[in-house]
Amino acid sequence: MSDMNAQISSAVSGLTRELDIIANNLANISTVGYKRKCNTFSKILSAQESQQNSAGEAELKSAFDFSDGNFIQSGRTLDLALCGKGFFVVETAEGPLYTRNGSFDLNKNGQLVDSQGRTVAGANGPITIPQGISVSQINVASDGSITAGENIIGKLKIVDFKDKENELTAAGLNCYSAPKEVQPGKPENVIVKQGYLEGSNVQMVEELVDMIMVSRLYEANMKFLSVGSENTKSLINVAMG
Amino acid sequence: MLRAFSTAATGMSAQQMMVDVTANNLANINTSGFKRSQVDFQDLLYIKMREAGAEVSSGIKAPSGIEVGSGVRAGATQKVFTNGELINTGRNLDIAISGDGFLQVTMPDGTIKYTRDGALQLGPDGQLVTTTGYLIEPAITVPTGATNISIAPDGGVNVTTNSGTTIIGTIQLARFTNPSGLSSDGDNLLSDTEASGTATTGTPGADGFGTIQASFLEKSNVQMVTELVNLITAQRAYEVNSRTIKAGDDMLRNSIQIASV
Repeated sequence: MSDMNAQISSAVSGLTRELDIIANNLANISTVGYKRKCNTFSKILSAQESQQNSAGEAELKSAFDFSDGNFIQSGRTLDLALCGKGFFVVETAEGPLYTRNGSFDLNKNGQLVDSQGRTVAGANGPITIPQGISVSQINVASDGSITAGENIIGKLKIVDFKDKENELTAAGLNCYSAPKEVQPGKPENVIVKQGYLEGSNVQMVEELVDMIMVSRLYEANMKFLSVGSENTKSLINVAMG
Repeated sequence: MLRAFSTAATGMSAQQMMVDVTANNLANINTSGFKRSQVDFQDLLYIKMREAGAEVSSGIKAPSGIEVGSGVRAGATQKVFTNGELINTGRNLDIAISGDGFLQVTMPDGTIKYTRDGALQLGPDGQLVTTTGYLIEPAITVPTGATNISIAPDGGVNVTTNSGTTIIGTIQLARFTNPSGLSSDGDNLLSDTEASGTATTGTPGADGFGTIQASFLEKSNVQMVTELVNLITAQRAYEVNSRTIKAGDDMLRNSIQIASV
């Protein structure tokens, strides 16, 4: 009996955490460059329950889904979207961070920065737009090289983690950080699109379906628990005469 | 309590902000020189329950970690400085800037502000002023007895009097390294900030500045369809976040029912 209670309790805590993940995905449905977290716990759990093989504790995987989001045309010169696998790099005091949010700006010195004011890395150091050149004259080619008028100013640093993508951790503010042992490599088949932003890849319907599933599984587990406690009660009654 | 509640609440307030910004864009769809804003959202910090690469059993490392995010916030509202459509008004004091640059406006306290709204008027003493009555910088005064005023593409203000046509001044434009960093002060005015950098001034048509189009006004760059799509998206996203709260609430109600059996 206590064994069953332990199983239910682990299922319930897993489902609660999955609701948290779904809530975060849905909260970020309009966040540029956001990648949804997969929520597989309830699927594993329901598969187990249908097979009558209630191992109880299913592994809660929360890997990122790095598929591309929708591309939204914004028309801003400094809005850049990455089409294909890859990340922009922003420099911070704690080392480089990786992001898919290409909504950039210039600071007062003309350096390319993200919306938090962190410097965007270029292939050869930070990218500075010379004085006297206005933002509307900046042109970003599909390989990330930046020209203003006729002068080449620099090239965006774009990296890729290939199969190591899931070792990235979310650092918040649209950025990912990589553990020390994971080194980014050169991207393949990635295209920079100027004047576009990459929308979040959260699919509302999918998340809603998962949410209903979590809700129902939670309810079912609670029913088990109440049936369990009823059984215990009657067992005790029988034993005590 | 469930973390999902506060996460969904951040989502709802973010969408509310999106509706606010969209509402302001739509309200200014006919405002001359208005530039639309867009909101840039950011995910909040993550609670790490297990690091990626942590050892789960001897020699086996977890391929991915367990981290749960705590919602979303608005990171920035950016002004989009694309050019609006130029509309022929036929009024000789209406000017539009075709290309880059802002008109400079002197405030009563002497500070300079910037605008793209070129519906100029004549002040009581013949000065060129904005619709609100602020002086254009550099100050240009039209002499009494002028029969015609025309503004050239390079900003030169020509006045015809009985004694012929003379140039009485040139409109100068200002430009910023980071126009998104300008702060909006209402009345179609913008002012410089730490983030925008200081203004570089110049003559229209030179050094990459736009040219002056007389008898034209620049409409706002708000596209009704885009804003309506944003509005619908924001509304639905708000709704779906409230559903999360509902689902969390159902789960809690379930647990409470069990506890009270």
